[in-house]
Amino acid sequence: MGNILKEITNSATALAKGFSITFKTMLRPTVTENYPHQPPTFEDRYRGLHVLRRDENGLEKCVACFLCAAACPSNCIYIEAAENTAAHRISAAERYAKVYNIDYNRCIFCGYCVEACPCDAITHGHGFEISAYDTNALIYRKEQLLEPLPASAKK
Amino acid sequence: MAEPIKLSIDGKPVTVPPGTLLIEAAKQVGIEVPSFCYYPGLSLQGACRMCLVAIEKMPKLQTACTTVVTNGMVVHTDTPEVANTRKSMLEFLLTNHPLDCPVCDKGGECELQDAVFRYGAAETRFLEGKLHEEEKKFSNLVYYDRPRCILCFRCIRVCDEGMDVNAYGIGFRAAHSEIIPNRGEQLECEECGMCIDICPVGALTSGTYRYKTRPWEVTYTGTICNHCGDGCRTTLSVRNNVVIRANNRDHSGLNGEFLCVKGRFGWDFVNSERRLKSPLLRKNGKQEEASWEEALTFTVERLKTILAEHGPGAVAVIGSNRTTNEEDYLLQRFARTVLGTNDIDHHRTADFSSLVRALTEAGATDRYATIEDISAAKSLLLIGNDPTHQHPLIAYQIRQAVRQHGARLYIVNSREIKLRRQSSQYLQVKPQGEAEAVRALAGQAPAAQDLCAGGTGALTALADALKKESDTVILFGDEIQGQTVNDLVTCGLTLPGKTRFVALGDYANSRGAADMGLLPDTLPGYQPLSNEKARERMESAWAAKIPAAPGRNIRSIFEGIRAGEIKALLVFGANPVKTFGLDNAALTGLQLLFVAELFRTETAELANVVVPAASFAEKSGTVTNTCGEVQALKRTMRQAGTRSDLEILLALARLFGQRWTYQSPEDVLREIIALVPGYDIPLPSLLVGRAVPTHPEGRPPALERPDLVFSSRDSLFTSGTLSRYSWALNSVDEAKKPYGHAF
Ligand code: SF4
Ligand code: SF4
Ligand code: SF4
Ligand code: SF4
Ligand code: SF4
Ligand code: FES
Repeated sequence: MGNILKEITNSATALAKGFSITFKTMLRPTVTENYPHQPPTFEDRYRGLHVLRRDENGLEKCVACFLCAAACPSNCIYIEAAENTAAHRISAAERYAKVYNIDYNRCIFCGYCVEACPCDAITHGHGFEISAYDTNALIYRKEQLLEPLPASAKK
Repeated sequence: MAEPIKLSIDGKPVTVPPGTLLIEAAKQVGIEVPSFCYYPGLSLQGACRMCLVAIEKMPKLQTACTTVVTNGMVVHTDTPEVANTRKSMLEFLLTNHPLDCPVCDKGGECELQDAVFRYGAAETRFLEGKLHEEEKKFSNLVYYDRPRCILCFRCIRVCDEGMDVNAYGIGFRAAHSEIIPNRGEQLECEECGMCIDICPVGALTSGTYRYKTRPWEVTYTGTICNHCGDGCRTTLSVRNNVVIRANNRDHSGLNGEFLCVKGRFGWDFVNSERRLKSPLLRKNGKQEEASWEEALTFTVERLKTILAEHGPGAVAVIGSNRTTNEEDYLLQRFARTVLGTNDIDHHRTADFSSLVRALTEAGATDRYATIEDISAAKSLLLIGNDPTHQHPLIAYQIRQAVRQHGARLYIVNSREIKLRRQSSQYLQVKPQGEAEAVRALAGQAPAAQDLCAGGTGALTALADALKKESDTVILFGDEIQGQTVNDLVTCGLTLPGKTRFVALGDYANSRGAADMGLLPDTLPGYQPLSNEKARERMESAWAAKIPAAPGRNIRSIFEGIRAGEIKALLVFGANPVKTFGLDNAALTGLQLLFVAELFRTETAELANVVVPAASFAEKSGTVTNTCGEVQALKRTMRQAGTRSDLEILLALARLFGQRWTYQSPEDVLREIIALVPGYDIPLPSLLVGRAVPTHPEGRPPALERPDLVFSSRDSLFTSGTLSRYSWALNSVDEAKKPYGHAF
């Protein structure tokens, strides 16, 4: 008899213990994201698609020093440098990147380029939707990587 | 030899010859003493104080770059005091230095960057703002950024002592001191770019390289300059099939770090937009683009028809001063055995044949001087020519000989050439008087009273001075040719010691063209065509007949065309219309004019068929400099649509039904080594980038007429037809100065 009673209490305790978790979790905020129906959220330091930054005047920050390309372990950054002129000014310093490509077939999002950059010109953004049918489309050009002109700098 | 000096550096015993500088002694035992202003070969400056070391029994730290070692010296480079001093010196240098390494062209190969990284503190204790000054454009090729300059004065010294141009000085005082051009706001100089090259920091930058790339982003290929006949070794920096700079920082090759303006900047013709990229075929009077196959088949069909109708005497070939030995060798094989004609020649710029014959007859074929012999010479005799313009490296080596170990330079010239500043005797003769002076020196003919400024007395003085010298190196230009070369050699060999000779030819492979037998009467290796044995040797190697009768020289080829006897002319890498000043009608009688060229030159414009040839950067092979030293070209890039002259020749031979088995330039080179007298050179030395001297021996026929050998008298800024297509060479104001201008 005592055995049956004991069994019932044990089961009730186990149930209560189990359901306590269920009920507790029921009251917690939802973490599952409803992607792609709702936009995903990111941690601030998430390393997504790169963004090439502009300064407060809308000039490109990158001076084509090639340090990011040198730091890159998968060798996916390709740069061609050129000289700024008074008539054709792209960055604030003497040189700028005429061509700046990142090959996302190869990029491993390690963030070394961002760490190497002496000008804070390259950062990781939060973009991640880069799947494509054609590997060529994964080579991003400067125009795709640049952040848009700030409203203050627009003519 | 004086007793060697024994000293100790950081506890390591060192033994060096007396007079050695402490910094060099340290280098010998692998101890690095950082330095900026010290540069081997230049005068001592002691400006940067980077090399301070502790020497026992001396009260303060001493500069290792100016201290001469003495016996028993005990030196320390690793004390905390020395380390601290290095740090402080760097902090001083950085007082006004912008440290804008990310934009600075020198970043990655900067001596200051390296030094700060190793010895310095990147932090500064100065609170004051840095002085700033805008960058200055000294010329289209040289820019100066004052804030980056560390005032080591290397540029001033290399320009003054190395180049004898003295274009720079120092202006203003103290923190405002800066390098200024001595002749006004702009540089007026030889534009050699040695100052850019030697600048330890990014203060002097190159107009063609600046802001383009990074030193670790390019491929480096060591090859040979394609302009003058000196054969400087140069390292091309190539990115994406575009050459972006040339220098020789590793000091390899016979030129060390030297390059003149053509070698350092004049390679840009390779990248020119005007390069031919497709064969052109004349249809209905107009040159139109055609395929390679079409162009070559047309050429061969036309050649076959002409050969069938008029015989081999109706076909002539003109070779190049720039193509490789392999190409030249194949070209003459093609002409002699496939076309069956000896009417093959090139623009001869020095009389190499006569030099070889004279030395062979005198039994002195060990007397060809090398570039190294020139800089090591104790005594030099220069007859004719203006090396400053025509042979910048040789001029540099002559200056080195005079400056570094007091060599005596004797000059016989009709013009006031710049090298007379280095000469101990300068004999100015009347125009075209060089040959007469040589004949007089050789005692062949008495000199006319008006021959030289000082009367015949000056000539006697020169002869007397030469008799007191030994191991003289004699250099002569195109002024001395034919029999006079013979006189010069005979007379030179009577001088004391081991006299050596150099004939000064204009272009990168002028010597090779003669060596390889691009001559109507001479087989490769200066074997006369009339020598039956020599002919049979080649015939058996090639399994083909060579016509025994000597062919037409280049002047007779033009005469033959005018007379309508020659119906077809093949031109490889030459522009005879311009070089020989031919008029428009000169070539109109031809039924076939085939031109292989990089550009649409005056000759190419008249051609029925033009095929785009590869430039020196796009092919491998060997070239021989004017001293007879063979060096290897290395292919570093490709240019779509072009083919090397070697490939063109192989294709032509194939279309003629020949079964040549060469697969690569090396195959041809192996045959040259086996067959051409004087060219039995060790292949490995060549492949590791050495300059291998040759000692040709042969008795080629005497020079037929005096107008066959003539130099183009290129200036520092011209290089035959090529310089026209170089932006850099035309961009500098100095290029507009009259010929022979001394900077
Ligand atoms: S992104 Fe930064 S590191 Fe990369 S080239 Fe530009 S400035 Fe240099
Ligand atoms: S000179 Fe050297 S240290 Fe100075 S900015 Fe240029 S790379 Fe940097
Ligand atoms: S480029 Fe001009 S200034 Fe510079 S070393 Fe040469 S000659 Fe002198
Ligand atoms: S320009 Fe360069 S080589 Fe000349 S003094 Fe300045 S740092 Fe030295
Ligand atoms: S000296 Fe002659 S071989 Fe040397 S870099 Fe100048 S042109 Fe070229
Ligand atoms: S290297 Fe000795 S003072 Fe500059």
